[in-house]
This record gives sequence, C-alpha cells and structure tokens, in this order.
Amino acid sequence: MAGLTLEHLYKRYDNSGKKKKTVNDYAVKDLNLVCEQGEFVAFLGPSGCGKTTTLRMIAGLEEITQGNIYIGDRLVNELHPKDRHIGLAFEDYAMYPPLNVYGNVAFNLRAKGVDKNEIDRRVREIAPLMQIDDLLDKMPVKLSGGQKQRVNIARAIIREPELLLMDEPLSHLDGKARQAMRVEIKRLINKIKCTTIYVTHDQLEAMSLADKIAIINFGVLQQFGTPTEVYDDPVNEFVASFIGEPPMNILETTIIKADGKFYFTFKDSNLHIAVPKRYYSVVSDGFRCKMGVRPMDVLVGGPDSDGTPEEIATFENLGDERRIGIHVGDVLLMLITEDEKRYKRGDIIKLEVREEKTHLFDIETGDRIREK
Amino acid sequence: MARITLENIKKAFGKVQALDGISLDVRDNEFFVLFGPAGAGKTTILNCIAGITMPEEGTVSFDGKIMNLIDPAHRNVAMVFENYALFPQMTVYENMASALRSKLYREDEATIKERIDKAAKMMKMEKLLERLPSQLSNGQKQRVAMGRALVRTPNVFLMDEPLAHLDAKLRNSMRTELKEMQANLGSTCIYVTHDFMEAMALGDRIAIINKGKIVQIGSGDEIYYMPCNEFTAELMGDPQINIIPAEFEKNGSGYNVVIEVNGEKLKKELPEDKAVFAKIAADGIGKADLGIRPQHIRYSFEPAEGYFKTTVYSYESIGNKSVITAECGKYQLRMIAPNGLNVAIDSDIYLKPELDRSILFDSDSKKYIIRYDEEAIRAFATKEVK
Repeated sequence: MAGLTLEHLYKRYDNSGKKKKTVNDYAVKDLNLVCEQGEFVAFLGPSGCGKTTTLRMIAGLEEITQGNIYIGDRLVNELHPKDRHIGLAFEDYAMYPPLNVYGNVAFNLRAKGVDKNEIDRRVREIAPLMQIDDLLDKMPVKLSGGQKQRVNIARAIIREPELLLMDEPLSHLDGKARQAMRVEIKRLINKIKCTTIYVTHDQLEAMSLADKIAIINFGVLQQFGTPTEVYDDPVNEFVASFIGEPPMNILETTIIKADGKFYFTFKDSNLHIAVPKRYYSVVSDGFRCKMGVRPMDVLVGGPDSDGTPEEIATFENLGDERRIGIHVGDVLLMLITEDEKRYKRGDIIKLEVREEKTHLFDIETGDRIREK
Repeated sequence: MARITLENIKKAFGKVQALDGISLDVRDNEFFVLFGPAGAGKTTILNCIAGITMPEEGTVSFDGKIMNLIDPAHRNVAMVFENYALFPQMTVYENMASALRSKLYREDEATIKERIDKAAKMMKMEKLLERLPSQLSNGQKQRVAMGRALVRTPNVFLMDEPLAHLDAKLRNSMRTELKEMQANLGSTCIYVTHDFMEAMALGDRIAIINKGKIVQIGSGDEIYYMPCNEFTAELMGDPQINIIPAEFEKNGSGYNVVIEVNGEKLKKELPEDKAVFAKIAADGIGKADLGIRPQHIRYSFEPAEGYFKTTVYSYESIGNKSVITAECGKYQLRMIAPNGLNVAIDSDIYLKPELDRSILFDSDSKKYIIRYDEEAIRAFATKEVK
C-alpha cells in the first residue's frame, strides 16, 4: 500500500494583479509522486520552489487547484486537516507557553477526548523515544532549541498519524545541535516506521535523512530517487549542481575527434579529457554540450601521469580535506583530495579525470544526454 | 599596509568582560583570522582596531604607532560587514566611489575611475557598475561591499563574517574567490568568522578566541593537528573529533594508553617523549581523554583480527561520503565511510581505532598532552605562511 500518492497536483495562486500569465504562475505544476508506506521522503529545492506549498496542500492548509492527494487509499482532497490523520512538525515550535512539556505533548489527545489513563500511557511511551522523559515537568521557556524541537516532534507523533509532515524542523538549530538532532530523527522514524515527508532546502539534510528525495524547482518535480541515485545519476544540470558540496563542476565543452577517439576540449584551456566510449553513439566531431564531473572524480596525477599539466589557482587546506581550484577558461574547476601534500598557488599539477564519471548535459535545456 | 599590534586589550560591557587581555601581533600583509563561537569577543576586537570601541586597558598600534586616541576616520581602515551596508540610492559605481570622494580623500574623478575599474575587474563585477544594490543578488552585494573596501589603500582590511549571510554554496565559492583575491592583493587583513572551513582555507594564521581570551594562535595545520585543548579540537573538523576516556598504564620506562571498546581493551604504547613521561609521572595522571578524528577509525561488517564488535547507532550520507555512528558501550564513535552502503541501524559493525593517529588530552584541564604522530605531522604541516 502506498503511504501517500500525489496525482497531477497543481497549485496556482491568484495573480490577477500581474499582466502576463506564464507557466511560472503555478507554484506547483503537474506533480506526480508515490511514497511507499513507511518511507522517509525529503522534498528538496531552493526557496520558492513549491515544496512547502505541496506540503501544505497535503496537510489541508492550502487549497488544491487541480489534482488528487491520497493518504493510504483515502482521497483526502476535501477532508478537513484534522480528519486527515497527519502529524505536523514545523520550523517554529509553536508550543503553548502556559503548559508544561507534558501538557503540550498531551494537548491534542485531550482535545480529542482521549481517556486520561490512555493519554498518560502514550506520553510515557513516547517521552523516552524522544529523550524528553526528564523534561516533562518543564515549561517551554526553559527549553533549548533542540529540546523544543524534540517536544514538537513528540507532539506530532503521539497522535499516531498515518503520515508525518515536517517542514525544515532543524533550520532553527545551530550546527552541533542540528547534527545531533538529525541522527535522532533518523533513528526515530526508523523505529516508528511512519510515512514521513520532510521539507528542506539543505541538500545535506535530505541526503543524510531520506530514503528517497524529490527534487523540485520552479514548482516542477525534477527527479525522485534514492540519495545515491540523485547523486550518481542526475537527470539534469539542476539536480547535478544542487546535490553535493562542493557542487559538480559543469563546463561548456566542444568535443573533437582525433585518431578515432573523442575528447572534451574547453575554450582557452589545454585541458582535454577522453570521452567515455559509451557516449560515442551520441557525440560527433564539433559537438557542443556541457560536461559535468564531481570534484571527487578529478585527481592529481602522480609523476608518471599523462594528465594535462595545469597551474593551481587556489589551494584550500580544510583540515579533513584539501581543495584545489584550476582555471579552465573562466571557470574554476574544483577538485578534492585527502592527500596530505600541501600545494600553493602557481604549483603545476597533472590533472586527471575519472572519465567514466563524466556526465553530458544539453547546452540549452540542461537535460542529461544519455548513451543510447 | 601595516602591522597591527594589540597589547593586553580589556573591554567590559557592564558586568560582562568581553575582552580579557587580548594580545596579538598581525604581520604586514598577513591574512589573520579570528575564529570562535558566537559571543567570544571576535567582533569587539575588530571594533577596537577600527576605533569604534574604546578599550578600557591596553594599546592598539599600527606599525608601532599607538592609535588609541585616533578617531576611526583617521585610522584608515576598511571594514566589510556581514550586512553589506551599501547606500541603496547609489549605483554600484557611486557606492564604490563614495569614500574616495569624501573630504578625507578628495581624489580626482580620473583616479577614482581607474581604481574602481581595477577593483571591479578583480572582483569580476565590471558589468554591475551601473546597477542599484536592489538589483543585485546577495553574493553580488557582498562583492560590491568588498570592492568598496578595495578601492582605498587602507592600513588594514577588517572583515566581519562577510560570507555569513550567503547560502552554503555561494559561501564556498566566494570563499575560494576571496582566497584568490587576497593572493593577488597582498594586504593585511583581519577576518572574523565562526566557520572553521573559512578559517582554515583563508588564514595564514588563526587565533582561536573564547570568552574574551585567546586560546591558541597558529597556522591552520598547527591548530587542526595540534589543538592546545579539547575546545579547539572540537571546533576544527566536521564531523567532529571523537573524544573518549582513556587510561595510562605503566609499561617499563614508558606508558601504554588503554581504551575500552564495548568492554574490551585496546592498548598502544606512547611514543618516547621524556618530557611527557615526566609530566605524567609527576602529576600522577592515570586518566586521559583520547581524541580521534572520524577518518582514523577503520570498520568492517565482518569480524576481523584486531576489530571490536559494536552496533550501528546511525548511518548518514553527507554528500560525497557518509558518517557511521557506532555505539561502543560508554560512548559513541563517529567514523567516515563511503556513500551508498547498505547499513541497517542497530546492526553489528566491527571497529579498529587507529590509535597511532590519536591525540591525548589531560582529562582534568582538557589540555593537549601529546599526539602519537606529532613528528610525522610536523614534517608536512604548514607552519606559518610568509
């Protein structure tokens, strides 16, 4: 059974003030998505891409312009939010300040008229799970940001929702607390096995938490897949450059043919990289496109390397790793190395590229060009 | 450009001692980073140098000349702030020209144009000169703010978290650009940040600041590999260094370090260092804290010689690699693993900490005692650039 199904979902805000109607008037456009029962799915995209709008439509806080939403097998388009069996945890904690933690966690059950003993049983069951057992008597003002977010999530899951919706729940926390909380959320979801939609603009958070990632841009779903799929096999230039830090190097290239082999060449640069054989059926001499390669797949060659000699433009020693920047035309090609060697600006290295890891993108549309 | 010296600077705001005896010597043409958590006093130091804040005690001098009584305008420092502080009604060109046209400089228009063109080229913003700040992205605004500082020939550039407002991606690319620009420029620059990657990437030297005091000053390598205490060690590196309890055990004339992983013991002889041995003996230190970075723990999903059985607490992908956290009984260990592994939470994992890459700290004072590979590190680590 699917946990959540979105069918041809559209959202259009009334922009009657604007003169020109374009496709971009749609905050969400023809979104189709099936999340399996118990799956943890992240909605990822830059701000304004429509991910929160989609979440709010699922929650029933926003009207649907067109399309269907199913939670489990139930069509919920017309249902009131309270009847959709969802749990919500948003960025701001929105706790009831006069109630202590226990009161806050129990509030929704009390409102529903659940039996007192049953409420107590459920609060006591969830408290250790969220590590808030020691906080139950405290007032919200006494809690740290991380603790508040724990209470907030406890409040969402105590209703035993069919679907848990989270909107940037970690964005208020500082680096350390965020890292710790990420681990806790992951463990929690793994334990309660509740279908979860998690909205974030932080690719790292999406990569580390989610079973699957839905990458959205301009209201349109770009790709839906596991973290490994979107990282290794992006469908277009947007996904390729949005996932990963530092981002994938993407360079305009003209492919040339020499001695029966194809090479990527670049404007104002001596760099040339062999085109993987699998692309031979789709490229030709003089073919223009973009080439993408991740910084981890660009290497410093050894003394016997036949890589192209290049001058180092930037060298950053970050402790855990080192990053080297090379000018290829007017683009800075980045590479990451964990090698201990310290370089400096102006040093010459032999640049090697793991050819098999290169991707081709259409120069106009940014779509991935795949081997046939 | 100038050499900036601070001697025993003290400053209190009410009951809070914001700066508690700060002494620094920033060399001519050095890129010097002030790094520490929020509220450490980094910005207050910058303000004392600029003359915006008056210290209660201590001296600020430029090239040996005491500046305490000189007002900010005449110190000839260029500041770049987190929030750009551009004049909204002026174009980029006018923003950059504003300081040069002021009473203090009164440069002629030809000189102004020449300098702006040069700075604009360096900052890759030749095409933006006629735009208003409202027509710029955040990254471009920060570039203009820096360009405006650049057109003057100040004694020192003071930069207060100039990249903090930018999103992660832009911040990293701007950081790389700034590094390139600084190399081209050759100027004294004092740079405040709370991002360790910025500190490492940019600083010729880094000063770690905490609670109004200097904790450590050194090159990035020195601070990363030989942190003077646990506080500094935890600041540098992501994911954070693991710090776990350890014990010293007498072994002939030297010592073993012993750690416990899930009830089993792992020993490693300390490298010969008479001074360290003497200190351990004299202080009667039995316990220590052992710091080991996540990349120095090996793992296996099958039992293996020298590996300890633990369980997976979490497995997280962090882009090009992932972090496994293992439950080891009294503590947890974070380690680096490749992406795309099929790791189930609470499943078994076998670990081998490479103790010869670890750092030992005094478990009471939290101060650095020794690291096993100190000699090897000293051989390749960048001491101080320039």
